[in-house]
Parts: sequence; structure tokens; C-alpha cells
Amino acid sequence: MVAAAQHPNITLFTYAEVEKVEGYIGNFEVTIRQKARFVDHSKCTGCGTCWEKCPTKVVSEYNLGLGTRKAIYICFPQAVPNKPVIDRKHCRQFTRGKCGVCQKVCPAQAIDYQQEDQLVKEQVGAIVVATGYDLFEWEQAYGEYGYGRYPDVISGLQFERLNNASGPTGGKILRPSDGKEPKSVVFIKCVGSRDAAKGKEYCSRTCCMYTAKHAHQVLEKIPGSKAYVFYMDVRTPGKGYEEFYLRTVHEGVRYIRGRVSKIYPEGDRLVVKGVDTLLGRPVEVTADLVVLATAMVPSKGYAEIARIVGISTDQNGFFMEGHPKLRPVETNTAGVFLAGACQGPKDIPDTVAQASAAAAKVCALFSRNEMAVDPMIAQVNQALCSGCMECKKICPYRAIESRTISERMGGKTVERTVASVNTGLCQGCGACTVACRAGAINVKGFTNEQLLAEVDALCL
Amino acid sequence: MQRIGVFVCWCGSNIGAVVDVSRVVEAISTFPGVVYATDYKYMCSEPGQETIIQAVREYRLDRVVIASCSPRLHEATFRKTLSRAGLNPYLLEMANIREQCAWVHQREPEKATQKAIELIRRAISKVSKLEPLFESIIPVTKRALVIGGGIAGIQTALDIADAGYQVILVEREPTIGGKMAMLDKTFPTLDCSA
Repeated sequence: MVAAAQHPNITLFTYAEVEKVEGYIGNFEVTIRQKARFVDHSKCTGCGTCWEKCPTKVVSEYNLGLGTRKAIYICFPQAVPNKPVIDRKHCRQFTRGKCGVCQKVCPAQAIDYQQEDQLVKEQVGAIVVATGYDLFEWEQAYGEYGYGRYPDVISGLQFERLNNASGPTGGKILRPSDGKEPKSVVFIKCVGSRDAAKGKEYCSRTCCMYTAKHAHQVLEKIPGSKAYVFYMDVRTPGKGYEEFYLRTVHEGVRYIRGRVSKIYPEGDRLVVKGVDTLLGRPVEVTADLVVLATAMVPSKGYAEIARIVGISTDQNGFFMEGHPKLRPVETNTAGVFLAGACQGPKDIPDTVAQASAAAAKVCALFSRNEMAVDPMIAQVNQALCSGCMECKKICPYRAIESRTISERMGGKTVERTVASVNTGLCQGCGACTVACRAGAINVKGFTNEQLLAEVDALCL
Repeated sequence: MQRIGVFVCWCGSNIGAVVDVSRVVEAISTFPGVVYATDYKYMCSEPGQETIIQAVREYRLDRVVIASCSPRLHEATFRKTLSRAGLNPYLLEMANIREQCAWVHQREPEKATQKAIELIRRAISKVSKLEPLFESIIPVTKRALVIGGGIAGIQTALDIADAGYQVILVEREPTIGGKMAMLDKTFPTLDCSA
């Protein structure tokens, strides 16, 4: 993280969003919205006085609701950049119009309540989309696990925050309800994954391994504890993965093949009822903490990114690669590449591999000063074009503009509007040719004459 | 008069086990404009492509039809072959007799053979109307935009930046690091993730 921030060739925009993408491969113009942080990062030293003194406590999103942060905050101690932002939805200066504590205590005078969003325009030649994933909202779908009503039924990512030294418990595994150390922890896999009825049909690929890791961590950190894993299958396709899983089994993690039908509270503990399909009988485990391996889904806002950048998604919202085997990091929009879980559920080794592959594709593009573009694109016959611009409306790549031309007609010069194709933007999809009533647009290599010759050959 | 060459691929047994390739070649040899037709086990292989290049030179072919797999797989391959043979690479038409014929009509070899002939008739008809096309040249701005500052975005940005190009890394949250920075240790080596 720090390497990226300090690299002389990398310009970092955090707390920023891509708002608009125009242009085409080799020649994009992007508009980036730098959201107002209300902290001047050129003055801020990251000393931390402001967030120590801030009187407003807010539930921490970064800790997934397991702790609190201040209204002026950094997400976690190693955050990059290590300088705070003000959350205007909760800051008293914005909600009540008075407070100003952070401004008063800031030794660098970096607090600026008047700061506004800024729009920045940048020219780029290639775009890599790496927007990642979010977790499936199991609270909406799984009533048998309590719809999120039991505080000690948590997601795997929440468990990571409990385990993390910079998390809300300083790295101790403690129950969210009463802060006690759990002696019996149940893990449930495939929550939302491989469940077409309630969740997603696909396998999220990472859960078998991180659940094995979580179970290992329970036994390692809590002496005398027990860890149970309810699973459908154990899938460990990766280097060193099967060995890792077997190690956790040998350490004493109890794997139970079967689904959980119900979780209900009994005193301050939870009863997990399920079935062991290998023994063919129901099982009941009393647990202090239940951890759900929830499915990976595309990151919130994926549809907006797809629209802005001009790429397509599959039925689950993951971005579509050019070809599942042969073009895994390209998209069908030239110059736009994919990396990581935004293309499909992926673990870290696969993500890093795909990210390097996307970088290699970008570098190959940049190794030349200019590039050849596919000639099979739309072409307007100006003599036939009536200038109705139906083609412009239908073009998904915004490749058609209107243009005024002058013509000599009957001894006079007249001006009229015709359609004109931007050769860089046009992808040769042919949508315009269908919309053109005058038959004035043809895709080169697929002209009306050529297509009719094919039809004649088949039908006559 | 046009001089069209037709090359029918067996794709091993993918096409050859269903479609009667020899009969197809015999039938299409008589189509107008076709001056040469032949078949080969794997047209995309080095000797297969060499067959095409030799035939273009020997029979002075000016247009080429290749009946094989989907153009999504090998159209780019065969365009290069045409270039190497000295033809405009866009004077090529492919007939998909694998995905759209042999694979879907495995139990009806007779009809599949007839359909292959029809698909090639279509391709010949189109290839005769094709005109040479030329690629245009556009400049390339050597700067990249990476959207998302998680492990995928960071790795991509670092690799591009290490190659000497400028990168703009955009992250919507106040910090980069994404989901990975939230994790404790990572499998299978249990190293720290931040």
C-alpha cells in the first residue's frame, strides 16, 4: 500500500470517484470527482490530535459495525494516505452548525469546512477496472440464521476484523454481545454461495480456505476451544491449499458435512441444529460464536461503473471478460481491462496474477506510440445520408456525431447535416446500420450488399 | 474473374468424424469462382497454414474461404496467414462448420455434410463481394487509469508504474487497501495482509 502511494509514477486519488469516461482506446478523457475531505491534505501532518478530540462517535464501517470511529477519522492505523477525512453526515459542525473542535486543535490549520468537491480531468490511454467485491447480504435471506438479530452470528469478514491487531478488539477473538472469549465456535460455509434458491448459484471460491484459516486461528488463539465447520464440499484447488486444510483437520477442527437448519439462542449461547449427512443423523452444537462464510457479490455501484466505462456484466453483475479462456483480462471495449474479483470471485493469489496480467496488457499497448485499429467499422455514405441521426441515438459506443457539409447544388452552395463516425470509438457492432432507413451506413466487411449475397446463396 | 481458394479443416475428429470432408471438397470445387479446394487435418497448424500460402501463390488466389471452427477462435490467425501469403488480410471469409455444424449435428452425418456445403456456399458468395480493407492508425496516450485501490488495483498500478508509465489510481474510500487490508492473516502461508 505504501509502495503504491510513494511510487513516483503513481498519482493517488482517494475518496474520489470516476464520474465520466469519454474517448476511446489510447485516447480516453476521464473526469474524476475528488470528494471534499474538509481536511487540506497538503497541510495535514496526520498527527491524530483531531480524531482524539472529536466528540462525535460513529459506528465504524471499516470494522463492519463492530466498533466506533470519530466523525473525523482514518479507517485504520496503517491507512494510506494516513490523513483523516470528515464525515459530513455525522460531524456536528455540519449537522448542528457548531462544534469546530478539530479546527481549534489542529496544529497545522488543515481543517477547512468550506472545502468543496473538485472535478479533475485526466487524459489516459488505457483503463483497468479493479472494483472488487462486497459480501452477500445474508441478513436479508437467511431467516434460519436469525436475519442478523443475534449479535454473535457474524460474517467471515467481521471475524477477520476481530482477529486483526488493528481491529476493534486489538486482535482478540471476543463475542460482540458480551466481549467474552468464545470456547465453542461454529463455522457455516456456502452462505449465499451454491444456493440458487436463496442466494447465488456460483461457488465463491475463497470461503473453504478462509474458513479453514479461521478455524485454525480459533484453536491457536483460544486454549481449550472447539471449532466446528458445517460444509457441503471442501474445495481446495490451489498450491498448498489441500495441505493447509488437512493441517487444520489434524489440529482438531471438526468438519461436519451437512447444512444448518436453524440457529436459536439458549441463555447467552447459541444452539446450532443441522444434519451430518455422512452419519445420516441430525446434530446439535452449542456455540458461543457462529461465523458465516458469505458469498462474494460484485462491489456496490458496479452497474454505475459498467455504464460509465462502457463495459458489460454477466447475470450476477460481474464484469464480462473478452473470452473466458483466451481473453480473461480484456473486455469487449478496446482499451479497458479487468483485474480481480470484479470479474468473478477470486482469492488473493489469483487476483494478483490477474492484476499483473492486466498490467502486462496495458504495457503492451503503451509500448507503441500509435496503434492500428480494426478497419471493420461503420462508414457513412454521405450522398445517401439524410441527417436524421437515428444512428446516433442507437450507438452504444457514442461513436456517431453530426457534421455539417457544404455541397454545390444547382449553382448554389448548400449546407446540410450528415452523420459521421469516430473511427476510434466505433467497435463495428452494426447497430447503426439497422437503424439507418436510407441504408447510408454500412459496416465495412459486412455491407448490405455482402450480407444479401450471403442470404441469396443460402436461399436461392 | 475472381480466383477463390477454399480450405476445409477436419479439426481432427471434431469436424472430420461427422462431416464427410472429401465429399464437401468435391462439391464445392464446382462452385463459380472456386479455382482450388482442398482439405487438411488441422488448417491452423503450421503445415496447414503453409498449405494455404503455397496454394495462394501457385494458383494465384485472390480470395480465401476457410471452413473450420468459429471465427472467434482463429480468424485472427488466418488473417495473418493471408498477409504472409501477400494478400490483403480482409479478403478472408470463414465458414463455421464446427460449432454451427459438426458439433450440433453429431447424429446426422449425412445432413451435416449437406449443411457444411451450404455454409461454404454462403461464405464463397460473400468472399466474392469483399473488398480490401486497411487498418487506420491512432495515437496512444501512455498513461493508465486504475479504478479501485484494493489488492488488484494496487498490484496493477505498481506493475504499470514499474514499467515506467504514469498511473492514476482512483479509490472511493478514504484509504487504499480494499478488502485485503481488513483481513488478518492470509492463507495458505498465514502472512500479514496489510
